[in-house]
Amino acid sequence: MNSPTPLPPIKRIDPSRAPKVVDPRHDTLGAADAIAAAVAPGSSNRVERMRIDDLSIAYGTKPAVRNVTLPVREGEVLALIGPSGCGKTTLLRSLNRLTELTDTAVATGSITLNGDDIHALEATDLRRRVSMVFQQPNPFPMSIFDNVAYAIREQAARRPSKSALAPLVREALEDAGLWDEVGDNLDHPALRLSGGQQQRLCIARALASKPEVLLMDEPCSALDPKSTEIIEELITRLREKVAIVIVTHNLQQAHRVGDNVAFMYLGELVEYGTVEQVFNAPRAERTQNYVGGVFG
Amino acid sequence: MPQSSAARSERRAERSLGALSSLVLVLITAMCLFVLLKAWPSFSHNGPMWFGWGGNVDDQLAAIFNSPANPAKWDYTIRTWPILYATALLTIVSVAIGIVVSTLAAVFIVEFAPPSVKRVVSPVVRLLAAVPSVIYGLIGILVLVPFVGNHLIGDGRKNSVTFVVQLSGASLGVAVVILTLMITPIMIAIIADALRAVPNGWKEGALALGANRWRVMWTVVVRSARPAIIAAAVIAAARAIGEGIMLAMVSGSVGFAPNPLDGITFVFEPLRPYAATIVDNAEGLSVKPFGQTIYAMAAVLLFASLMLSLGGTLAKRPLRKYGVRL
Ligand SMILES: Nc1ncnc2c1ncn2[C@@H]1O[C@H](COP(=O)(O)OP(=O)(O)O)[C@@H](O)[C@H]1O
Ligand SMILES: [Mg+2]
Repeated sequence: MNSPTPLPPIKRIDPSRAPKVVDPRHDTLGAADAIAAAVAPGSSNRVERMRIDDLSIAYGTKPAVRNVTLPVREGEVLALIGPSGCGKTTLLRSLNRLTELTDTAVATGSITLNGDDIHALEATDLRRRVSMVFQQPNPFPMSIFDNVAYAIREQAARRPSKSALAPLVREALEDAGLWDEVGDNLDHPALRLSGGQQQRLCIARALASKPEVLLMDEPCSALDPKSTEIIEELITRLREKVAIVIVTHNLQQAHRVGDNVAFMYLGELVEYGTVEQVFNAPRAERTQNYVGGVFG
Repeated sequence: MPQSSAARSERRAERSLGALSSLVLVLITAMCLFVLLKAWPSFSHNGPMWFGWGGNVDDQLAAIFNSPANPAKWDYTIRTWPILYATALLTIVSVAIGIVVSTLAAVFIVEFAPPSVKRVVSPVVRLLAAVPSVIYGLIGILVLVPFVGNHLIGDGRKNSVTFVVQLSGASLGVAVVILTLMITPIMIAIIADALRAVPNGWKEGALALGANRWRVMWTVVVRSARPAIIAAAVIAAARAIGEGIMLAMVSGSVGFAPNPLDGITFVFEPLRPYAATIVDNAEGLSVKPFGQTIYAMAAVLLFASLMLSLGGTLAKRPLRKYGVRL
């Protein structure tokens, strides 16, 4: 570390709750070069699905994300961590252009999907390829089947028959680890499922359009520990099929499911690296303060 | 003890509420029985043919009104088909148009209108919903009826049916237009409230699955507001069925059944539903058989509104299954 003045310690983190960090000062403390190298293209042999390049987003004049550069790679889970309000959700929602729903949001920088600027794609097309699971399970008030088939039906030029949809629905539910529980009751109302099942249904619904990237915004924060465990196992399995970006304020969760970890603070990317590197040998002092002591 | 006194006052409140609602029930039942009792002679004399077709219903009403003084010779013969048909036609057509128009309007107001428009339109709609029906009737009879009579119905058309019915402008078309105008605001208000109550998470979830704004609107938002659309249709239909004064003013008030086979002329033909018939003949109630005939029409209206709310409840039931809310 070549820090001129040590930063004040960040309040100790209860990993199950979003910490409130009230410290306007920030500094990557000379770790910038190492982190810049880690996020640069070609720093890994895995295929890059998405690349966030020098992205800044502000709500009106209030910046929420500042000059973030990040790769999203195939076969990996990228965990976004950081205190509440640091811009994780904003960053995540910009990846499928949901930030556009907020009139005041202004973005600069670029985001590409397989090399194509996402703003050059149709928003509807982009959102099928980069699908999203929200913090609160939000199944539609329809049957389980209709929920999972929703994206496929919206995508199809002609309304597909139920028998054509059935195998796709089944596959998505199997991928989401829900088939064994609901396979016999596909016509049951989705809203009657338990919270954890609802969230897995939302994952199945997001997987049904065969996306290339799956975005998850604190998918377990509304769930009980058992459901959380099931979903974490699911994420670990799914990474083979789809690149995953998961926002979490739970450091243990980031440690369990992440391959790469990005630590954000006040809208900036403070740290990026493999999960071992970020948790065991953080480069930035801010990261040390944030993750230090949580493990071992 | 405060707790037991709270419990006691709660019990008391429960009991008085129970008593109150039983009282309301008793009153409604008594009213139905009273109307049915009064109406009975008319129904029993005609049997099912009371609803049937035959002769001129206005002539029949006149004959009943002019019944001889001797109760044994009272005339009861009536075939109310043209009136039943007018009631059903007006209600079904205006509610059908109303559902489409009010759903589209509510979607626009809630989802697409710029905020400045929203701020103005919502209170205006509520205000319109509260306008008394006589006002609609006045506008109809002062503006729309003369306009239709003078400009839309040519002499050729008037002459073509001159031996059947007179075309004055007061007509099925005008009645449907005014009736639809009258029932649409309340429907818009009910549906818009339901659309506003659809959770944002559903909309965002659908957008995030690659549906465009219009598709999200139809497949998620309007879909989950279907019970409210049904409720709005039931309320509108109840208003339409029971609307007497306005329809007496603009429908032409003739016991005639407009014939769709007449082509465009169909729209310009007059008619008169049950409620307007009651309004038009209220002064004749003192003539016993005539009063009983009018009561019979009231009984039909009562039965129809009961059926409406029952039908609405039944129609909403399958939607509830999937957690669609009202
Ligand atoms: N729709 C919005 N309008 C204005 N400001 C917003 C909006 N959403 C988020 N913000 C602000 O942007 C910052 C980042 O928020 P967010 O991305 O939700 O952070 P996180 O998900 O890390 O908690 C916060 O300061 C928040 O108050
Ligand atoms: Mg968030």
